[in-house]
Amino acid sequence: MIEFQNVHFTYPDGKHETLCGVDLKIEEGSFVAVLGHNGSGKSTLAKHMNAILLPTEGRVLVDGIDTSDESRILEVRRRVGMVFQNPDNQIVANVVEEDVAFAPENLGVPSDEIRARVDAALKTVGMYEHRQHAPHLLSGGQKQRVAIAGVIAMQPEIIVLDEPTAMLDPQGRREVISTVTRLCREKGMTVVLITHHMEECVGADRLIIMSHGKIAADGTPGEVFSQVELMQREGLDVPETVRLCWDLNKEGFSLPLDTLDTQRCAEAIIG
Amino acid sequence: MLKDITLGQFFPGDTIAHRLDPRTKLILVLLYIVALFQATGWVGYGLVLLATAVCMAASHISPKNIFKGLKPMLFIIALTALLNIFYTTGTPIVPGWIITWEGLERAVKMMLRITLLIAGTFLLTYTTSPMALTDGLELLMNPLKKLHVPVHEMTIMMSMALRFIPTLIEETDKIMSAQKARGADFENGNLIQRAQALLPILVPLFVSAFRRADELAVAMESRCYHGGEGRTRMKQLHMAQRDWVALVCGVLFLAAVIVLKRFGL
Repeated sequence: MIEFQNVHFTYPDGKHETLCGVDLKIEEGSFVAVLGHNGSGKSTLAKHMNAILLPTEGRVLVDGIDTSDESRILEVRRRVGMVFQNPDNQIVANVVEEDVAFAPENLGVPSDEIRARVDAALKTVGMYEHRQHAPHLLSGGQKQRVAIAGVIAMQPEIIVLDEPTAMLDPQGRREVISTVTRLCREKGMTVVLITHHMEECVGADRLIIMSHGKIAADGTPGEVFSQVELMQREGLDVPETVRLCWDLNKEGFSLPLDTLDTQRCAEAIIG
Repeated sequence: MLKDITLGQFFPGDTIAHRLDPRTKLILVLLYIVALFQATGWVGYGLVLLATAVCMAASHISPKNIFKGLKPMLFIIALTALLNIFYTTGTPIVPGWIITWEGLERAVKMMLRITLLIAGTFLLTYTTSPMALTDGLELLMNPLKKLHVPVHEMTIMMSMALRFIPTLIEETDKIMSAQKARGADFENGNLIQRAQALLPILVPLFVSAFRRADELAVAMESRCYHGGEGRTRMKQLHMAQRDWVALVCGVLFLAAVIVLKRFGL
């Protein structure tokens, strides 16, 4: 579990606070999506979760460990795996399986167990057949899945993905999102997905909207997306089905706005 | 043009040369280089050439790949040959000419020496994954840790550099295309003009390399990297029987070359 307690953060060369008083609890086993514009502080928020950045005020607790406790930093990072935007800049080895082995090697896991973890992690993300490949010859989506495997091999409790799809094509994006969803649903891993693609948030348990370093909305995707005015104010899209119901409501209907998929939307309109 | 750079490239395979322990291969290459510089006569060169051919056959690396790797070095090889031809005194080929028989012989030997030197080291990098190579290097240099030589740091830097060669080459290609699309000319003009044309490539390349390094460092830390202390390896290196056999062969080969040198062959 990750807990933010009144976290403030200002970059050393920054004039403004990037995070201004964030209070947040991320429950075990949940799939949390964080949506926001560039500069809303969502990446900064992510980097606080595994002690890459430390709050200038307030504190962040990972399973009760304060991230500013330097002596326990490895425990924090082992618990919270992080996947970054650019797949090229987070792959450290020239062979897929050696890259996946990097984190357990750092943690001093015995060789046989590393082998087992690497194979299991690669199977989980569906990259086992590519274990001997050179990462730079893989597609963007595949590279990102290797990066996810590299984090899973560490056996973290929480996996934080900082805009993992920003540099991918639609195909790669689908691969990554379905992998992440499976991790949460089947393996019970806690997933925090930072993104600026509205579609990727629909399947989450909880959606958080970041704006100017603050949490602007927090709830299930249905609850958050139905606040259409707020989303528009933040310059964010809502699913087309929600938009349709909202437009109809302006014409005098009174339809529910948590219509995240076409099925639900059709039912709302017909029923 | 950039695609031709095969430096640090690795061709996965399952030959005897691939299966040898990287430490063995590193020592063999050292022995090979010493032998190469000990060879003086044609017989000695012949032996080294033969050894190279045997190793190439054993690793299933085609000569074509070796020559592809040699391409960027052609200029240096040609220059060395030319200098040797013109600056060696002895019996002129034609009376009154500056070119001598001795010069010609030395030029050919020099070309052979450089070519073999590169071919030998290429065989190492072609058959050994960079990770294995740096692992081997770290283990071989382990005793130096007692002298406070930062062995682990050096080897991890090397493996990262090797990892990023293809990425940076790709990036260079991209920047060059972007510059060409805006009218940059890399092919025409004299040497100085062409060197100047490269400047607009180098600046963005450096900026991006630093940005990458920064992100890489954060990604490594996120995966619990904290230096070499307490690190384990997935693939542990084992010296098998074949490694000892290969090492004995290597030593015998060096001895043979030295003996040949004694006899002036």
